[in-house]
Amino acid sequence: MKKIITLLVFGCAVLSTRAVDVSETLYINRGEFVASDGNAFAYMAFNRTQNFAKENAIIEVGVDDNLELKIINNDTIVHGFNVKNYIGVDSEIQPGDSITVTCSFSSESVFVYYDSYNYPNNVYMGLSGMIVVSDNSFSKFYWNIKEHQQTYNDTIAKGYSVDWQSYYPDYFTINGESAPNINIDTKARVTGSVNETIYLYITNTGQSIHSMHFHGYHLEIMYSSKYTAHVGRSKDTFPIHSLEGLVLKLVPDKTGEYPVHDHNLVTVSGGGIYPMGMFITMLIQ
Amino acid sequence: MMKALLTSYFVFVFCMVNVFAQNDVNVMLIVRNTGIKILDNGDTIRVFGFAENLGSQPDVPGVTIYANEGDSVHIDLFNVSQGAPHTIHLHGLDVNQQNDGVPQLSFEVEHMDHGYYHFKAPHAGTYLYHCHVESPIHVQAGMYGLVIIRPSDGSNTTWNGGPYYHKELSLFMSEIDTVWHSDSVLNHPYDTSLAVTPAPLPIYNPQFFLVNGSSGQQLIDNSVELNTQAASRNYIRLTNIGYYGNRVILPTALNSKIIASDGRSLPQVEYTDTVYVYPGERYGVLAEADIEFVDSIKIEYFDLNTYAVKGVEYISVNVSGFNSVEEAVNSKNNLSVSPNPYAEKAIITVKIVAESLVSIQIIDVKGRLVKDFENAQKAAGIYTYQISNYIETSGIYFVTLSLDGRVVETQKLIKK
Repeated sequence: MKKIITLLVFGCAVLSTRAVDVSETLYINRGEFVASDGNAFAYMAFNRTQNFAKENAIIEVGVDDNLELKIINNDTIVHGFNVKNYIGVDSEIQPGDSITVTCSFSSESVFVYYDSYNYPNNVYMGLSGMIVVSDNSFSKFYWNIKEHQQTYNDTIAKGYSVDWQSYYPDYFTINGESAPNINIDTKARVTGSVNETIYLYITNTGQSIHSMHFHGYHLEIMYSSKYTAHVGRSKDTFPIHSLEGLVLKLVPDKTGEYPVHDHNLVTVSGGGIYPMGMFITMLIQ
Repeated sequence: MMKALLTSYFVFVFCMVNVFAQNDVNVMLIVRNTGIKILDNGDTIRVFGFAENLGSQPDVPGVTIYANEGDSVHIDLFNVSQGAPHTIHLHGLDVNQQNDGVPQLSFEVEHMDHGYYHFKAPHAGTYLYHCHVESPIHVQAGMYGLVIIRPSDGSNTTWNGGPYYHKELSLFMSEIDTVWHSDSVLNHPYDTSLAVTPAPLPIYNPQFFLVNGSSGQQLIDNSVELNTQAASRNYIRLTNIGYYGNRVILPTALNSKIIASDGRSLPQVEYTDTVYVYPGERYGVLAEADIEFVDSIKIEYFDLNTYAVKGVEYISVNVSGFNSVEEAVNSKNNLSVSPNPYAEKAIITVKIVAESLVSIQIIDVKGRLVKDFENAQKAAGIYTYQISNYIETSGIYFVTLSLDGRVVETQKLIKK
């Protein structure tokens, strides 16, 4: 009897960690980004419905899961699809057409999916999101960080080219929001308690390098798509390059409300006004 | 017997407490917003900053705060400037919310008020302090300084039980955009009834690129340089409080390795002559030349949006040789490998001048342990170890000699 129970427990454990099939559908939508100061500019995003929303869909899968991803081009121009640092899914999608790609990821990580067509214009226009690969059951939060130069969006939307050597962004967002609104996003705002293990998945889908500084705590790098040798480092400031991903682990040792912001302090602004930029707080109780 | 044991115990505890006494470190920082800074071209700009006393003007960067790990640090921030209030954020020190210096989440210090900050010095390492009121403006205005936490015993080791160094050099990078130093920017709006007062920021386009507050000829005049000897170990602290990225290119002959970042030791040492330091980051680099040479550390300042290098500064490096054979023997040459490069076999020779806990390791360029030769108490003498088939892959490796837990010497080893 004891052996049977042991086998049953083992069988359940195997079942609970077995890879599963995950199907997702993403629409390429065109719309308008309304910034924290009310200014609006042309924008695009990968959304789960045909309705435009400025925040790109966050896709979550387990390690070794089979992800089947259908992407529908809901726009009037050609788009593309790719996953950074993943081989074999780079595709073009004609207007009104769709493609299906499959992927599987062998370790806990975070990837950037993006529109690879007309690079970097389409990805800059907003078409880039994150794929989170995780089997852990810890609290999770997600930051897709990005910067925007209003005039560039409107210029690219009209089909003109821009000079990336003159790029000077004026809006800085996490999941499409800036301070203070970003604190309302429960996926973004880190909340937890002392000694709790918290995972933070960060992607940079902008063109600039951002240097995220955490008040109050050091965090451990669990995954870095660009610098694998950095895994295990305990730091308070984390540079993140364009189209790269980081997974950080936080175990708070005290209560309090602590900010996180890009330490290129120009980014703590929106439309040239401090402090409507890349600034969020964590709340540990 | 019991009494004797108890006496011994209390004597031991008393001695240990006194060996690593945890002190109170009291620091006073005077905030002024009418400082004058002379730039490399002779122009002057208005700066905000921290002065050491009421009789002095603020310097950029502000005074460096030193403490030993475990010390209780107390900072009295006295704001004698008119205009907006100020704070200090203790960057990387992981203080509690009350001492974190973000005005809307802790407190701000008004004109002619004192603000008191307290923290227990954490891990030995390099940290920062800066004002967090209207931070893009106040940091650019000059309100920043270094905090250096030494090991508990105050020794020249990187952290408790870490590598020993002979010489230390801090390179603290920032930029100056003179437009941001005009009265129209520095006298920004401030409404104490608001959690945060909105303030316009000018386009950031710095013209001056600073190391320890100096640039160009000022670096030479102010002796911002590395003067050292071959076989001396130098600890270089790199810190970036600017809004650009820094690419720090060290002379290859310094045999540099990154061992720490943001006040913590790295789990794997990184051997490199190029260190990227992004805004708010700090790195600890051990540098030890084998030969006499003159060169410079090149620091590039690049725009984080365009990646274009907008400024370059040079820090002179002068590595002198030994004055005598005796000096050379006493300073180093405890570790040699021959032949080097080698194909099949090589001999490591170690000279121990006093009984020590001796550890000899071979590590690869990624800092991974390849072979652990020795880890035992050894009397003074000369010891040899044979490298035979431990290394299968051709390439560069490092042999390290540690005495009493401290890496005292490293030799490059080439497997053909």
